[in-house]
Amino acid sequence: MQQREIHDFLVTFFKANDCEILDNAPTHLTVQLTIEMDKELMNRPFYWHYLEKTGGVPNPAQITFITDPEQAPSDLKGEMIHFGSPRLHQIIQSTKKLAGYTRLFENTPPSKGRNNPLFPWLTLNVKISYQCDRKKDTFMSIGLNLISGEIMEGFHHRVLPINVTPKIPDYSFTLSPLIMPKSGLARLDTYIRTSFEDDDHSWAEEAMLRWQNDLNLLEHFYKDMDEKSESYYTEKEALKAQYEPNIRISIINGGLFYLSDRALG
Amino acid sequence: MKINISFNSEWNDEFLQKMENDGPWGNWELYKLAVQMEENLIIPDFEGLQAPKHLPQLTPLPHQLEAAKQVVEKMNGKAILADEVGLGKTIEAGLILKEYMIRGLVKKVLILVPASLVTQWAFELNTKFHIPAVVQRKSYVWDSCDVVISSIDTAKRAPHRDIIFTQEYDFIIIDEAHKLKNNKTKNYEFVQNLKKKFCLLLTATPIQNKVEEIFHLVSLLKPGHLGNASLFSEKYKGKGRNIIEDEHLKELVNTVMIRNRRADTGIEWTKRHVETITIEFSPTEQALYDAVSKFKPISDGSKGSAFSALTLQREACSSREAVFYTLKNMRDKYDQPSPDFLAKLDDLFTKVNETVQNSKAEKALELIKKIDDKVIIFTEYRATQLYLQWYLQQNGISSVPFRGGFKRGKKDWMRELFQKNIQVLIATEAGGEGINLQFCHHLINFDLPWNPMRLEQRIGRIHRLGQEEDVMIYNFATKNTVEEHILKLLYEKINLFEKVIGELDDILTKLDINNIEEYLIDVVGESKTEGEMKIKMDNFSSLIQFAQSMKEGEVHAATGNS
Repeated sequence: MQQREIHDFLVTFFKANDCEILDNAPTHLTVQLTIEMDKELMNRPFYWHYLEKTGGVPNPAQITFITDPEQAPSDLKGEMIHFGSPRLHQIIQSTKKLAGYTRLFENTPPSKGRNNPLFPWLTLNVKISYQCDRKKDTFMSIGLNLISGEIMEGFHHRVLPINVTPKIPDYSFTLSPLIMPKSGLARLDTYIRTSFEDDDHSWAEEAMLRWQNDLNLLEHFYKDMDEKSESYYTEKEALKAQYEPNIRISIINGGLFYLSDRALG
Repeated sequence: MKINISFNSEWNDEFLQKMENDGPWGNWELYKLAVQMEENLIIPDFEGLQAPKHLPQLTPLPHQLEAAKQVVEKMNGKAILADEVGLGKTIEAGLILKEYMIRGLVKKVLILVPASLVTQWAFELNTKFHIPAVVQRKSYVWDSCDVVISSIDTAKRAPHRDIIFTQEYDFIIIDEAHKLKNNKTKNYEFVQNLKKKFCLLLTATPIQNKVEEIFHLVSLLKPGHLGNASLFSEKYKGKGRNIIEDEHLKELVNTVMIRNRRADTGIEWTKRHVETITIEFSPTEQALYDAVSKFKPISDGSKGSAFSALTLQREACSSREAVFYTLKNMRDKYDQPSPDFLAKLDDLFTKVNETVQNSKAEKALELIKKIDDKVIIFTEYRATQLYLQWYLQQNGISSVPFRGGFKRGKKDWMRELFQKNIQVLIATEAGGEGINLQFCHHLINFDLPWNPMRLEQRIGRIHRLGQEEDVMIYNFATKNTVEEHILKLLYEKINLFEKVIGELDDILTKLDINNIEEYLIDVVGESKTEGEMKIKMDNFSSLIQFAQSMKEGEVHAATGNS
């Protein structure tokens, strides 16, 4: 991820959280935090607790992020921020926490005095991780039409260009779902699990081989011992933790989108 | 095949809750950002290192990156890192740990290191790797912090031991792991009982004496890899260190151990230039030296008396202040000293007072002015250190002191002052855990330690990875004194100063000489004549030369094999 993208990410993040951008230079960024953002990011609960008890005037912090340390003025004080910096990851976590669930409506212009019907789509953005002693991830975004039952992959990138709004627009109305959200979630879950069934899982087979190999060595090491020592069982547990193949599905976020029948083309 | 699938249904429950309550719902901009960032954090391949992308300020060397890659891809995260001294094992360990943390395979980490290195590890992991490692000082740290650094001696004791065994560690690092070569020790047993999912053992000397040592080390990491104890000893027992020549064993060991040698790394080491500067005593200094040479505090001819006479002689080569402190301590040691002893001491005190100049300090001043760049001065004596600081200041040169006993914070502060504002750093103790001063490349040995390892550590402060200039070393030796003997007979003969870092370490380990200093005191102090001393010193230096030529032979053999 480029420094420029990180810079833009920060600007969008703070604007979306109603924080005033005091200085937006190509090399750095100064932000006035709101009280909520200060509590979220600055990790100073005692200060806020104290203020609330004494009724003092809150003074949320300002932060300067330096995104281009080479070009930034040398006397500038601020936090260097890059792909690996803990602060960036804190903000990413915060983003996920604040935007785990959404519900949005397509903002359709009224056409010929007719009311626009909007179809309910249930969507999930997930990360699927193949994990043994090594790990890799794939991203998957799917949407389920709660009326027709149609399932669409790459859903997130299809919604991106659509103009959406948190309030239902005038002259639009939502169609009631035929599939209830709960069973909708179950359908998506089944779909996700089926999606990787036919994948190449030689990674897991190889991990099992490595595991078996180390297990054989372990047995050999302790074979002269009639009563196995504690460390034998610990080692055995450790090998399981190290090698056992596992597929982990984690939800990044998701929600409901009400879209016109033309929206997804 | 059937693979476990894990899924956390919390999201679903909360979503249904929100449906019922009609919100609150997340902002569209943030929702898009969350997906965008997560897509960026996705790691689409099992292979390759992610860590370097996360560490823009760190420039790992090729052999360090290669080591990290090999541990993750070929060794399944369990390895002995056994690079030679000075090649950056800590960097390798940091890279590997970071890689697993980024990939989300590791969360809880235990790092066991010698007590003297605990804060340095914490500092390096935090600043170089952005890994929030915490030094264990309070017992709640075991539970509440994810990455904990402790000494093994603390960790193995109650109540820590029991708390540690209840933790589920994903990753364990043990520094100076050669201390675990004996499987009968408490430390060994402790580490053996830890659950080691991923594990790194760091050591520069995987085998010191016996082949069993490598067996015990590997068995900690991967029990059974070298067979079981009875089988192994049957096959290899009594074969000594040469066993590593056994191809089969070598191959097996190499699947769990990475050992980079200086020669293989292709790193260009800058040169060392050594200049000996001989100094002549002024008449008053000579008088003091002669007086302490004749001084016999206890006239029974025991070893102790040779020792204190030698100490005083060496001090007289450094500064009158150093002599003064030792004499004062001698006087204070006795409740009721004999009048004879007191008279002798008083005579010496008079000689100290009469000494009006320090020829070495004058030479140092002249040299510092000529160098006109940063200089480190090493001395064995604190009194000399204080004197030099005063003397240089009188002559308009600022300096900072450095001692092994300083707290970490003070050490770092002194280092920073020296790097930014001050021309001279005067140090008394190099110490293995000392600071790295590769921004400086002039070093004055104001007096010489008698243990070559200590000298090696002194030079190692500036001649290390990151040094870009050739290193200049100036050895001060006063003419016609013990100092000159040591310099001529020992150091110059074995070309010690030109050696590369770490070589001496190997040689001395091979010779099994634990206390060079004691040996030399014996040679210099107990020899009846100059001739006897010369012969003994010659013997000693040819021994070192012999070990060295053996080592060179070994290196050739090793490169020939690969």
